[in-house]
Amino acid sequence: MAIKAKKVSASLEELLDPTSGQWSGVAGEKIEMAATPLANQPSEYIKASRDEKKIGKVRELEVKCCHNGGQVFLRLEWADEARNLEVTETNTFPDGAGVLFPIKDEPPIDEMGRKEERVNAWYWRADFADQPKNVWAEGLSTTNYSEESFIKAKSRWENGKWQVVLARNLAVGGPPDESVKLEVGKPTKIGFAVWEGGNGERAGVKSFSKEWRDFELEA
Amino acid sequence: MADKTQQQLEEEKKKRQEELAREAKAKKEQLRTVDHQLAMVFDLNKCLGCQTCTIACKTLWTREEGMEYMWWATVNTQPGKGTPKDWEKMGGGFRGEFKEPIAGQLPLVDDFGAAWEFNYDEVFQGGKGNGVYLKVKGEEPKWGPNWDEDQGGGQYPNSFYFYLPRICNHCSYPACLEACPRNAIYKRKEDGITLIDEKRCRGYRFCMEACPYKKIYFNHVKKVAQKCIFCFPRVEKKVPPACARQCPGRLRFVGLLDDETSPVYKLVKEWKVALPLHPETGTEPNVYYVPPLAPPRFNERGEIDETKPRIPLKYLQYLFGDEVERALETLKGEMAKTRRGEKSELMDLLIVYQWKELFSHLTQDPAELRWT
Repeated sequence: MAIKAKKVSASLEELLDPTSGQWSGVAGEKIEMAATPLANQPSEYIKASRDEKKIGKVRELEVKCCHNGGQVFLRLEWADEARNLEVTETNTFPDGAGVLFPIKDEPPIDEMGRKEERVNAWYWRADFADQPKNVWAEGLSTTNYSEESFIKAKSRWENGKWQVVLARNLAVGGPPDESVKLEVGKPTKIGFAVWEGGNGERAGVKSFSKEWRDFELEA
Repeated sequence: MADKTQQQLEEEKKKRQEELAREAKAKKEQLRTVDHQLAMVFDLNKCLGCQTCTIACKTLWTREEGMEYMWWATVNTQPGKGTPKDWEKMGGGFRGEFKEPIAGQLPLVDDFGAAWEFNYDEVFQGGKGNGVYLKVKGEEPKWGPNWDEDQGGGQYPNSFYFYLPRICNHCSYPACLEACPRNAIYKRKEDGITLIDEKRCRGYRFCMEACPYKKIYFNHVKKVAQKCIFCFPRVEKKVPPACARQCPGRLRFVGLLDDETSPVYKLVKEWKVALPLHPETGTEPNVYYVPPLAPPRFNERGEIDETKPRIPLKYLQYLFGDEVERALETLKGEMAKTRRGEKSELMDLLIVYQWKELFSHLTQDPAELRWT
């Protein structure tokens, strides 16, 4: 089923706030999440040292989205009993979430793009001070941060739940092959990932939305 | 066209995964293939545990914020728990001839030993005179990088200890390189120095788990993994690494393993008296050790007893593998030669009459260089 961003009349400030009343009028979609396949990990060590049954701890993600003509908003919510905010010791890892879009063609979602088939991720992490990274990749182990990120975020954790809103202008500057182009009425694809820091999840060790979903900004 | 059956899809997926695994493997192969390999040999019979190497490295490389607890070069008393504490029990490395990776654990800052802060202000400016003494601020530390110094093992009069200097082993089959999902770790083609590219590193720390020698640190400010770089900026100017050049004991040999004129080559390849630490990890270290020969032991009557070594052979085998027995025999044999007044090339090599002979082609004096 397609994920559709309805058009709303609200400001960036209002919609960036995950607790804003604006969001109560937006229907949420529950996305089933799964552990990333160990067989795809670009590290023999990760393959040998991890158990697919124990990674990808977050198995359900609620996604709400909308746009206001100028900006698109994605509100992610998932259960996480204990938040992991910072790297406090060598063995602690922060929680994170990502939204993935193909920039060119439609490479398999579990390969982070392919050569000549780039993908763009909006990467939020609890220790990024709500300044998500703009990530582009063309295959496993090739992710890069863009020099400039046009993505905004606001996050809160309460009562065992993370609520994160990611926002971006529909049209952005920067190298055109590093950011997905979003246009009203022009469908694209979307995918999701969540890292449970408390479970040592980082890099490709995470849960993901298994398949691309159609994504469309409604007029 | 008819839809593919579930089975066909599964087969396709499997094929693709195999393809990806092949690509990843080829990439790793490329990252670890070198033309030449620099190596270091430590003669454990000469190490005094003075820590000059440790400080040489510290002052040169790990003084920035976020590096306080780092000691890329360490010297620990053996037997002992080492740095980080009990690192030999933390896993990592490979199993068997197919090099199956072994899961490892992440050493904590407290395992390495956090940098202590002292009450200098109180002592020097506090106006308390002799009422205070220099001590660590806050909670009393329970571990540090050289905590069990000189404890050693055995029972008097046959107690024993020796020092074990350690740096990154710049392995030929580095577990860290194999573990990194971002291909941020590589070996330099020209000299085999293993480096972490901090621009690629995202601080995921799989390398720290995988390294069986636990010689990688996490920089909490830069959020990247860091380790010994074999002083590559010096090496590029033909200056030996600081730990080696500043060692007053003349025990750190440096050279290319394929340079037949280098003492490293002679000790490792020709005389075969220099052995890697814990060869069973499968990482093929390029740091080698001439094993320690302790003084003879005493029997119950207080007489010298040469039938058994003071340092149990089993312990040295645990550290350096079974080859150590033969290496020790070679060393003893050559020592006996010199005692008889004969010449021994090996003993001359280990004595190092000319200091600069330690460093083969790395002949440049850093004081004569202009560093930019």
